[in-house]
Amino acid sequence: MAEFVATVYQNEFLPDGGTDVNAIVTITCTGAGTAGQSATGTVGSSTAGEIIIVDTSGSMGHETMEGAKDAAQAALAEIVDGTRFAVIAGTDSAFLAYPLVQDGPALAVMDAQSREEASSAISQFRASGGTAIGSWLDLAGSVFASVPEVTQRHAILLTDGENGEQPARLDAAIQRATGYFQCDCRGAGTDWKVEELRRVAQALLGTVDIIPSPSEMREEFRTIMQTAMGRGVADAQLRVWSPQGAQVLFVRQVAPTVEDLSDRRTTVNPLTGGYPTGAWGDESRDYHVAVRLPAKAVGQEQLAARVQLALGDDVVTQGLVKATWSNDSELTAKIDKQVAHYTGQVELASMIQEGLAAKAAGDGATATTKLGRAVQLAAETGNAEATTRLRKVVDVDDEKEGTVRLKRTVDKADEMALDTASTKTTRIKK
Amino acid sequence: MTEPRTCPSCGAAAPGESNFCEECGTALSADVLVSGAPTTPAPEAGESSPIEDMDSGPISSATTNHSATAAQESAAPVACASCGGSIGPDGYCEQCGVKALSPRDHFREQPAPWVAGVCDKGIRHHRNEDAMATSASPDGTARDRRAVLVVLDGVSNTDDSQVGSLAGAKAALAALTVPFPDGLGTDGSRVAAVTHVLTNAVKAAQAEVVAAATPEAANPASATFSAAVLEGDVVSFANVGDSRSYWLPDSSPGVQLSVDDSAAQGLIAAGMPRAEAESSPQAHAITKWLGQDSEEPTPTVGQLRITEPGWLLVCSDGLWNYASEPAQLVEQIRRTGTDDPAALALALTDYAYGQGGQDNITTVLARIPGPVLVHNADPTPTSKEQPHG
Ligand SMILES: [Zn+2]
Ligand SMILES: [Zn+2]
Repeated sequence: MAEFVATVYQNEFLPDGGTDVNAIVTITCTGAGTAGQSATGTVGSSTAGEIIIVDTSGSMGHETMEGAKDAAQAALAEIVDGTRFAVIAGTDSAFLAYPLVQDGPALAVMDAQSREEASSAISQFRASGGTAIGSWLDLAGSVFASVPEVTQRHAILLTDGENGEQPARLDAAIQRATGYFQCDCRGAGTDWKVEELRRVAQALLGTVDIIPSPSEMREEFRTIMQTAMGRGVADAQLRVWSPQGAQVLFVRQVAPTVEDLSDRRTTVNPLTGGYPTGAWGDESRDYHVAVRLPAKAVGQEQLAARVQLALGDDVVTQGLVKATWSNDSELTAKIDKQVAHYTGQVELASMIQEGLAAKAAGDGATATTKLGRAVQLAAETGNAEATTRLRKVVDVDDEKEGTVRLKRTVDKADEMALDTASTKTTRIKK
Repeated sequence: MTEPRTCPSCGAAAPGESNFCEECGTALSADVLVSGAPTTPAPEAGESSPIEDMDSGPISSATTNHSATAAQESAAPVACASCGGSIGPDGYCEQCGVKALSPRDHFREQPAPWVAGVCDKGIRHHRNEDAMATSASPDGTARDRRAVLVVLDGVSNTDDSQVGSLAGAKAALAALTVPFPDGLGTDGSRVAAVTHVLTNAVKAAQAEVVAAATPEAANPASATFSAAVLEGDVVSFANVGDSRSYWLPDSSPGVQLSVDDSAAQGLIAAGMPRAEAESSPQAHAITKWLGQDSEEPTPTVGQLRITEPGWLLVCSDGLWNYASEPAQLVEQIRRTGTDDPAALALALTDYAYGQGGQDNITTVLARIPGPVLVHNADPTPTSKEQPHG
């Protein structure tokens, strides 16, 4: 059985008249088991479904196409026997490459034979036509829906190009998929749009990244599928209770990546909001919760938030966020290390994204300022990976001051890698 | 015969006469201590008293619950004292978030309308090692009025001080509930008789504090002791350590009755100004206390005759740390502007909270509406002397 533990990091002391409480809540899951197995524990009746979606548009060069096929086959090898699965090939429209059925259940049960058949179907892929990601997502949704026993739905999507559909068409497809299946997205090469794929991944509770070279695809797909198979907890909801009269300022996931969850709130009860978190494996996720309370007299203590994780209706762990008003400035002046760290990391993410957007728009001055601030924040918060990526895009004159110059020539893959990785955070060194 | 009981919180076996678990301090019966049904009215929502239970921790320390129900406080009241909402299994109100009062961490007593006390954990400490016990005759204006005010302050960093202090306070109260003997009828023998009773009360408390720890305990429970007994117009008082009694009349300067057994008091006696002495590094080191490592602690005792209306206060250092001079206490009393001892005890606890609440806070008060007996040519002496033997 999966076990969850919530740990709260905060400075609960507020000065006289203070209203805003910030806390980092780490939720750790152990003993998650294998995707789809927890319900019954018997092979063949898995509730997990996996769909591999591979771009087979004409833009996929020979090397990329071969790399994608190899990667898709490597992913098949990671899918646990008994799991329901399908393979979709995507161009201007989507077609179900495996299993080859016209109607009825469109997910095969994984075993040695179906793995072999799917593998051979993948090897037939030929690159031609355009890119219509919306139609791929819609077909994935229909395929999942054809097997109602599958309740944990996950897809991997690989593309190498910009979406050819009207933006509204893609948005509508994303909306239909949101809350129904999760999707990790990968872009091959440098001809795809980070913003586009990030929109898909964020809505579908997945990750987004660049695979610059075809030789890296296999390992990337294997890792994604391994992670998906390790998610023995099909779905969990983050819940935030706040007292009557209080206002939840925001709820953000801050590790392993930054995701603002505030807009995804659904009402659990008048004082409690629910936020989707998708499936869980053995992992830790950090959430930053900010609550505004009516100020109370010095000396008063109260609960500012209950931060819970719920599986269905069962609350499996809870962290208590507190507020205590004090006129001891030694207590109230301190900002919790975790809160400060993640506040910096969130700003880092937006500085990178805004800086790169300004650079793309030809606004060199804004780009220099924002990326300079990003360099400064990466150093302050000890995010060495971000520092390395930033230094491929800017020349750093003074890291501490954030003084940088935009590089004359930048490898596009480096710039895209900086963009896709902008939301990745590092944890504080404890 | 009482049924053998177990603690609802930790499951430890509980002797029939104890009101709190000796293991974890959880209240075992609601009839002695006031929690969900305070004898003083709960503050109105909106202007609620800050005297809620606190659980402070160091900055950046992590708090972890393994499950939603891990922080069970089985003795917590069912309804929120602040808004009337229900209390969650985590011990907080499910509507307004106020922490439910734990009966050992905050309790109130009011044996009669003119006597009341509040014993509270404060902000910084993790448990309430202070204790109090009170009794009073119904009418504070009657000639035969009698009130007993007892405060024990369990020393932190010792084992089970919260158990020893409470048991000690109750034992002392029991020893002080019978009217004082008159001795041979002379003033001198009357004082000696009262001193004997007060010394016996200290002995009774000492026995309980000693019993709270096992003989091999590394840090056996220890506590201070301060008691004041009003009988008619005479206050008799005794103390060991640095818990205090004060007489704070309405229109004359107040006086501290007790004399601390502390390093600071030693410095004051040697001529250092009080403020300086009480802020010196070793100021809070007490030189006498109750406990295993203190053999036969003898109290400093004294008597005072009441001649005007005022307040009799017995308190722990959690209060007087923020108002040591009688005039400072009188100032806080004036600000409150109440004649109700329960309201004043809460207000003074509030005041200590506002100042930082660094220690457990115990405030026990008797409102004395003036003398009730007629005396001729009595010089109202304040005598302080060590008991004999
Ligand atoms: Zn217990
Ligand atoms: Zn409430």
